[in-house]
Amino acid sequence: MNKNILYLLVLLAVAVLAGCEETVKLESEQVEPKVVIEGLVTNENIQHYVKVSRSAEFYSSGDFTGVTDAVITVEDDQGNVYNYVHNPSSAENGEGYYLSEDAFAGQIGSTYTLTVTLGSEVYTATDIIKPVTAIDSLEVSLNEEEFDDPEDEGYFYEILFYAKEPQDTEDYYLFKFYRNDSLFLDTETDIYYANDDLLGESIDGIPTAGFYKLGDKARVEMYSISRQGYIYYNDLYTLLNSDGGMFSPPPANPRSNLSNNALGYFQASAVVSDSIVVE
Amino acid sequence: MAPTNLTKFLFILSLVWLSHYSLAQQKYTINGYTKDAESGEELIGVTVYVNELKVGTATNVYGFYALSLPPGDYTLIFSSVGYQTVTRQISLTKNETYNVELPVEVTSLDEIVISDDPIDANVTDISMSRNELDIKQVKKLPALFGEPDIIKTIQMMPGVITAGEGTSSFFVRGGSADQNLILIDEAPVYDPSHLFGLFSVFNADVIKDSELYKGGIPARYGGRLSSILEVRTKDGNNKKLGGAAGIGTLASRFMLEGPIRKEKSSFIISGRRSYADLFLKAAGEENLVHFYDVNAKVNWKHNNNNRFFAALYLGRDVFNFDDTFGFDWGNTTGTFRWNHLFNDRLFSNTSLIVSNFDYALEFDDAVQGFSWTSNLQEFSFKEDLNYYLNTRNELQFGYHLTYRRFSPGKISPTSDASIFDTQEIQNDYALDHSIYIGNEQRLTDRLTLSYGARLSIFQNVGKSDVYLYEDPQDNIDIVRTDTLHYDHLETIKTYVNIEPRFAARFMINPQSSLKVSYNRMVQNTHLISSGTVPIPFNTWSPSNYYLKPQLADQVAIGYFRNFKDNTLEFSVESYYKDIDNVTDFADNAQLFFNRDLPTEYRQGDSWSYGLELMLQKKEGRFTGFASYTWSKTERKIDGVNLSKPFLANYDRRHVFNIVGTYDLNEKWSFGGSFTYSTGRPITVPAGRYKYGDVYQVDYISERNGYLLPDFHRLDLSATLTPRKNKDRKWKSSWVFSLYNAYSRKNAFTIYTRLQQDDEGNITNGNVKEARMISLFPVLPSVTYNIQF
Repeated sequence: MNKNILYLLVLLAVAVLAGCEETVKLESEQVEPKVVIEGLVTNENIQHYVKVSRSAEFYSSGDFTGVTDAVITVEDDQGNVYNYVHNPSSAENGEGYYLSEDAFAGQIGSTYTLTVTLGSEVYTATDIIKPVTAIDSLEVSLNEEEFDDPEDEGYFYEILFYAKEPQDTEDYYLFKFYRNDSLFLDTETDIYYANDDLLGESIDGIPTAGFYKLGDKARVEMYSISRQGYIYYNDLYTLLNSDGGMFSPPPANPRSNLSNNALGYFQASAVVSDSIVVE
Repeated sequence: MAPTNLTKFLFILSLVWLSHYSLAQQKYTINGYTKDAESGEELIGVTVYVNELKVGTATNVYGFYALSLPPGDYTLIFSSVGYQTVTRQISLTKNETYNVELPVEVTSLDEIVISDDPIDANVTDISMSRNELDIKQVKKLPALFGEPDIIKTIQMMPGVITAGEGTSSFFVRGGSADQNLILIDEAPVYDPSHLFGLFSVFNADVIKDSELYKGGIPARYGGRLSSILEVRTKDGNNKKLGGAAGIGTLASRFMLEGPIRKEKSSFIISGRRSYADLFLKAAGEENLVHFYDVNAKVNWKHNNNNRFFAALYLGRDVFNFDDTFGFDWGNTTGTFRWNHLFNDRLFSNTSLIVSNFDYALEFDDAVQGFSWTSNLQEFSFKEDLNYYLNTRNELQFGYHLTYRRFSPGKISPTSDASIFDTQEIQNDYALDHSIYIGNEQRLTDRLTLSYGARLSIFQNVGKSDVYLYEDPQDNIDIVRTDTLHYDHLETIKTYVNIEPRFAARFMINPQSSLKVSYNRMVQNTHLISSGTVPIPFNTWSPSNYYLKPQLADQVAIGYFRNFKDNTLEFSVESYYKDIDNVTDFADNAQLFFNRDLPTEYRQGDSWSYGLELMLQKKEGRFTGFASYTWSKTERKIDGVNLSKPFLANYDRRHVFNIVGTYDLNEKWSFGGSFTYSTGRPITVPAGRYKYGDVYQVDYISERNGYLLPDFHRLDLSATLTPRKNKDRKWKSSWVFSLYNAYSRKNAFTIYTRLQQDDEGNITNGNVKEARMISLFPVLPSVTYNIQF
């Protein structure tokens, strides 16, 4: 559950009561582009990525052009240093993506420090890999309301999630749901994350996002995140779903672990996943 | 205030006492109550003028007056707007009681109105920065969905700003919405809104009198920084049974009042409920919304010396979505009052007050079901005394004790299989003692002073645990270093503050006066909200180990002038207000269900200044007012907006309002209001960036750096009172309202999203757009009212 639910409720109520909307043009001032850094180290033995780009004007169109001349390393608390190279396979959309030269698996409990050097500017961030609980199982269930009145024809199965939440540790989670190997979001501003403040031990049959049709493959990835990561995703969610500050807090940049006022986040996670075919 | 100043102040007060004893021996007292001749309701603010001595007083908020005069023959003139003036010849040879009934003024529409007030309150009264609301006029004004609402009229007053239409919040002289003390029959109302602010909780049928203090606040009021809105309900007609009912577009009302024992005791009961949900239910709609209000009051006038009142208000909003999901909130207040005359000159009002605000949210689901509740209670004892020393001095003093309990949140599972645990944020408790004394002294015929002070002793008490932090301002890496345990009622923190109050009025000539005032206000209850407009789900916190009391100092100066035999009242006022420790919160603060809430507190400075013009016409066929306000409000808070000053969310540079009603003939009267203001600031993105392949994120460079478009709206109304059938005991009227007559799309807020087409499909995942929400297009409504 998310604490921003209250703001959403208010918005919902306002929408129910009245409301008309139109697109308006903001006369926004020119500001210097900001460096945006995004990186992920997990406990999987793969080449991990870091992406570097710059912010654009609000009304600019098109995808972002990546920054290609950054020097990037990740160092763990054992002194291992991993160098990153820009788009080693020269992938078409790989501009701004850097991969670690070698595959490596992050260690649970270890701290990872990212250093991005861009000309004379240095950006650093540190995160820790927290343990993640196991996914006990996934289960397919027919949602009767959706069956009676499906939003999309044929899509009325939901995927239920089962796990045990460790009660003696403070844990934070980020979830990614895939429908037939593509990331699924209920709305384009959804982020699925949780803390365990209010959770009991038994997570029995909580539905994941979205509905599935027969033959679909569902995959759930659960990432452990640090408190810093939870704060980042919570802030990001609040910003993406802001009402402009009428009832919700004034929009603000998410609190990041990156130094030197860079936008984005460097995340270290343990990940578990499970998948199921709807049949 | 430094101790030396306090000593001086006490010294002056003792001088006043001394002067009294040397002068007062040869005097007798006239006192009594003033009442409406038709209903027996006590009348507030009736001018009582002694023609021979050219001195006067006004009835207090309970309708009581007292004058001490040397023996002699006098002409007493009792006058009040909307009532016929009553003149009494008296021969004063002993202490006397005169209860006076004032007949309602029947204005013949052809007559040219000449105000017969011998003295006019606008110019002569010491109070400044204060607005009274004429409830009869409010009922004739155009209203959203035909629901007359005093808060919507308050939002038109000079020095008052609104964040946008459809909200019941108002912002007085640079103060935020939680800095207004809103009282119904002396009980505080913590959230005065229905339907997230579309309407206020005040049902116009039961309101007798309401006034707003924006500055020069008398010492008897305290607790909030920026304003006092005091709403008093009717006591109930003690002469005959009567009532009123109304059927509106959105809600219906009824009210019944009458004597229990004639002239001794009476009651009033009133209810209001919205009924859109009943139609929707009939239409098979599952999302149901409704609100209701109940006001009830009884009083018993045992004799002139002892009068008892009991008043109750309860109101609630209920939202239900699809049977599984719902939330509700509401206020309950109760007041018991005892008016007692200790002697001819010492009037006492003793009150016991309770106020409760709570909200609940419930999600009914086998796996994710939970209920969330939060509430706060306030219990007060108040002893307020008026001592009518002599014709030149009127003392007010008293003691207030308040106990508050805050329960910020409790979450519990609604089924055994729920993934949620029961969790509760610990309660906060506070004790608040206040002692005040003030004197209104007519120094000379021209100069009147009002001075006083309020001593506030506020204690945050247990039972509670206070966490100590390595860095209390670090809301990311929260490191608790220790926990302090406090027992039941054990003091956690005590804050003592002295609030000096001062006002002076100098008569330039009988038509004009100059007034100045200074007041310090202290606020020890803090709204935990970072939005512009409070929502009912906000919680409150007392000043505590971490939160310091908010302090406001305000100076104001004003020129008051009447024209055309007091029928036109004009004023111009200017103020400067400085707030220390204004409560704000860190960027991205998590204010709900946060056990480490202190790490989100950011207190800083706020300052505001402005110029306000007001022209008002209270009598005649045409009544109304025009107001203009120029003001600016800024804040500077360490840790917010990179510690740079920023405009307050509710800052508007220019606000112009005009409100009027015109009685054409006995059948028709017309009302209109127009408001224009420059836009309020809002935070908009300076750029965008992509995160995680899917999220298009706004880049924010500064807080409140963008102004919403200008706001303006015209509302019109017409009231039809069909000719009364002589045999009929009841009369009826129709009120036709046109809200937003030219359908202006006024900005409520602006948010951003990915570019979408009309169906809501995303057209380009790499283009963002800004969307402006506006609430109401032109909205006609009809209300049918009957009175019997």
